[in-house]
Amino acid sequence: MDQQTLTDDEIVTAVLAGRRQDFEILVRRYSGKIIHFITRMTQDRDEAQSIAQEVFLKIFQNLPYYRKENNFSAFIFKIAKNMTLNWLNREKRTILFSRLLGREFNKAPFRQEPPRVSPQDQKERESEITRNLLLLAEEQRLALILKVYLEFSYKQIREITGWSIPKIETLISRAKSRLKKNILLQERSHEVVYTARKK
Amino acid sequence: MNCKKVSRLLSIYQDRELTSALERQVEFHLRDCHACRSEWDGLQELVGSLKCLPPPASDPYFPTKVMAGLQDNRAAKFRLLPAIAYALIFLTMFLSGFFLQLSYNNTMGAEKPKAATFTAVLLENQDLGLLAVHDNTLALFER
Repeated sequence: MDQQTLTDDEIVTAVLAGRRQDFEILVRRYSGKIIHFITRMTQDRDEAQSIAQEVFLKIFQNLPYYRKENNFSAFIFKIAKNMTLNWLNREKRTILFSRLLGREFNKAPFRQEPPRVSPQDQKERESEITRNLLLLAEEQRLALILKVYLEFSYKQIREITGWSIPKIETLISRAKSRLKKNILLQERSHEVVYTARKK
Repeated sequence: MNCKKVSRLLSIYQDRELTSALERQVEFHLRDCHACRSEWDGLQELVGSLKCLPPPASDPYFPTKVMAGLQDNRAAKFRLLPAIAYALIFLTMFLSGFFLQLSYNNTMGAEKPKAATFTAVLLENQDLGLLAVHDNTLALFER
């Protein structure tokens, strides 16, 4: 049978029956989305790759606990979400200890971006959005990323996070208004700097 | 529907998660209300900007790395096997020796060690008074 036509559940059954190599089909199918999700959450591409590897190992170990009546996508994103939040918490602790010890901590994801050259520059725009995403509360960022970048429905987000639909609605709505406010404020400040430089 | 309610529903409307009836009401309001329309345009612009972030470049070797990781993980489980085997062999030898000795003692009727007994000795010429002396020590003097 063609690998593309196999459903997730069929692959899981095959892997559990001993065809370990079939797990690679699942990795190929979901690695892009998982890495995208982790990169957006951590804003650290290198770390995202290594976290994603750990996520897939964890998924493999947890395959026997997967219930076929549930959505496989939600199952793997739940694992990815938990591992990413754990990593973020570890990072926060590391930064806290570094500060307590009086050391500077320049590691992503909370690093300072280089000074801007031109606000119109696409790269600058991207780093601005990235920085603003990091300023959001963790839950707001998680909900927004799952909706905007992974294009999950509220129902799927509920399956992944365990939150109620009204909570998801509120988190996404607040995340959008906060981002809108911050980006608008920054754009205004750029305009002020730009006109001051012109003078 | 008033502006306050529309403003609250705009994000959900954008995410296409409203019921069709509510969706129609929001659309109807947006056609007439300039303030809400401007808020809506801002939201659309924001999500457009968010979506312009390119997805991270994919590593073509990523699946291979994951599969290699699975193998390593499996190998790590078996890394402890020699140590466990040695421990089991040692334990078996120890226990078999212990039980062999026990059964030998039972069959040969070996004497149980005698409980130590002490005798009170009065040291007349000394000021030390009464001493408790082990029987074996006393036997040496008796000889």
